Amino acid sequence: MVRIPPYLRPGDTIGLVCPAGYMSLEKAQTCIDTLQAWGYEPRIGKTLGGDSENYFSGTDKERLADLQQQLDDDKVKAIFCARGGYGLSRIIDQLDFSKFEKKPKWIIGFSDVTVLHAHIHTQYKIATLHAPMASAFNEGGAELEFVQSLRHALEGRRSKVQAPSHPFNRKGEAVGELVGGNLSLLAHLTGSPSELKTKGKILFLEDIGEYLYNIDRMLYQLRRSGKLDRLAGLVIGGFSEMKDTHRPIGKTVHEIIREVVAPYDYPVCYDFPVSHEKENYALKSGVGYKLKVGKNKTLLEE
Amino acid sequence: MNRKKFLSSVLTASATLPVLGLRPHRTVRSGPLPLLIPAYLQSGDCIGITCPAGFITLKEIEPALQQIESWGFRTKIGDTVGKKDFTFGGTDEERTRDLQQMMDDPSLKAILCARGGYGAVRIVDRLDFRGLSAHPKWIIGFSDITVLHCHMHRHLNMASIHSKMCNSFPDDWAKAEPIQVETILSIRQALSGPGMQYSVVPNEKNRVGSAEAALVGGNLKTLETLSGTNSEISTDGKILFVEDTGEYAYSIDRMFWHLERTGKLAGLKGLIVGGFKIKPDDPGDDFGRTLYDIVLDRVKPYSYPVCFDFPVGHQKNNYALKHGMLHHLTVAADKVGLQEMELAAAGTFS
Repeated sequence: MVRIPPYLRPGDTIGLVCPAGYMSLEKAQTCIDTLQAWGYEPRIGKTLGGDSENYFSGTDKERLADLQQQLDDDKVKAIFCARGGYGLSRIIDQLDFSKFEKKPKWIIGFSDVTVLHAHIHTQYKIATLHAPMASAFNEGGAELEFVQSLRHALEGRRSKVQAPSHPFNRKGEAVGELVGGNLSLLAHLTGSPSELKTKGKILFLEDIGEYLYNIDRMLYQLRRSGKLDRLAGLVIGGFSEMKDTHRPIGKTVHEIIREVVAPYDYPVCYDFPVSHEKENYALKSGVGYKLKVGKNKTLLEE
Repeated sequence: MNRKKFLSSVLTASATLPVLGLRPHRTVRSGPLPLLIPAYLQSGDCIGITCPAGFITLKEIEPALQQIESWGFRTKIGDTVGKKDFTFGGTDEERTRDLQQMMDDPSLKAILCARGGYGAVRIVDRLDFRGLSAHPKWIIGFSDITVLHCHMHRHLNMASIHSKMCNSFPDDWAKAEPIQVETILSIRQALSGPGMQYSVVPNEKNRVGSAEAALVGGNLKTLETLSGTNSEISTDGKILFVEDTGEYAYSIDRMFWHLERTGKLAGLKGLIVGGFKIKPDDPGDDFGRTLYDIVLDRVKPYSYPVCFDFPVGHQKNNYALKHGMLHHLTVAADKVGLQEMELAAAGTFS
């Protein structure tokens, strides 16, 4: 049974960290202000806006220490990853989740943070929040329903996302734990201790900037490693900025996905608002959801 | 079917019953499955050419046909050569059928994949390898063909040839660069007998040492995408070689972490790093680590030899390697070499 961390109360502290790529404090300012306006106390970790001059927000040691501290600090009620990028794979095995396991707290983020979602789901059966990160708050994003859905999730409201229908949708209803995230990361984690088990679950996938042949190859990996055959349902989010090779693969990303899941009969929906674009609702990873793919719309409800 | 039982029955049969027109392959005890070494080719033997992944035209394979025939071998052009289903050399069904027919055709002594690209993983589960394990033959290729090398290593423990393919044969042999000629001739040499030897320019980043073990590996990205699947290989007690092209540095770093986190680095006897054509970082996303940093950081906990700049990869100096065969790797400050081991010596392995 999945454990749900306590929802937040006004005045609670949210720790902000960058466990992967670098982000300046300036770019996270609107996010920090907004969290404050929501009634929370943002605590800026050393890895947000630090003095790193390379790709990472800090050395592995620094990123590990920052995240570890926030995991272990009882005062911190949620950990907000300000940015993804790449880097969690480098420190995940050195993180000590023993305190977190005793006193779970919400871990928030997506993209590279898929490593945390998958690892925590597989190893500790604790719910996490797949949700927009700091840059999504900028340029008016904080007012949009997507960032607002994060606020609602933290407050403990049940999540319910509706999406328009897509011609490729496979109708049906499913109930199961919702798991997933970034396809490239899920493929990369396969075979490792953070690998996601998907049997009987609702899987959601999104990705950005990949070659279509590579999407096909990663989906084949999921299928061949037994991650697609016994799903309760499949939620396909945004696959933005897809690239094709000089010799085109001859299919759209949706056609590629439809073909890979053709042998199965669970419900599938496409263009669900979970993505690297602004359409990115907060979803509770590990929590039980009901997926209804109907004729006119799709509903994903906690 | 119980594969072990199946194989041993086949091996007994081939040892006692002379099959017309078939030269026996060699088997060497090595781990849970005996190592299957296809028979080496002789003058007049036939090599099948097929496209399990990307498409190629008949015209594009002509230089390869001419060259191979000049070596005294015959060629059989598969149905998929000249077929085109967008990027693929025919539909999945067509590519499966062509490769299957060649694997099952006792008159073929080797199968040369015309080119890589993408697509082998889409057909590997449809292939029936029983005919191939009964009558081993050399499967030749690299890049996307890493799928086949790994799959055959895992299920048959059959040696195969990791090398250039038809699309790398020079159009005009007389005008080809020496390195092109040498690397293409290394395919012929690998097909003709044992005793492959490679001498590599020492790199000051190398970690010295020596190892004797089976040589496995291929394209790093392909190895990652085989993880968790029925084609994933165990690297324990083996020499691993990797190469890749067109990946960002961060992605290469992530793939080496993948090797580490899926237990593929801890038990190695040696690591061979081939060519890596790294895609330049996007502006503002400077990863700040070289290939040396990436690799040496990951292998720091271990003590096996590591060799950089090995001539394997998406580059001109890409020599034929016998995947799955036992090799001796020596990495010294002034000398780096890889040698295919003598069968007699190899036979003492268990």
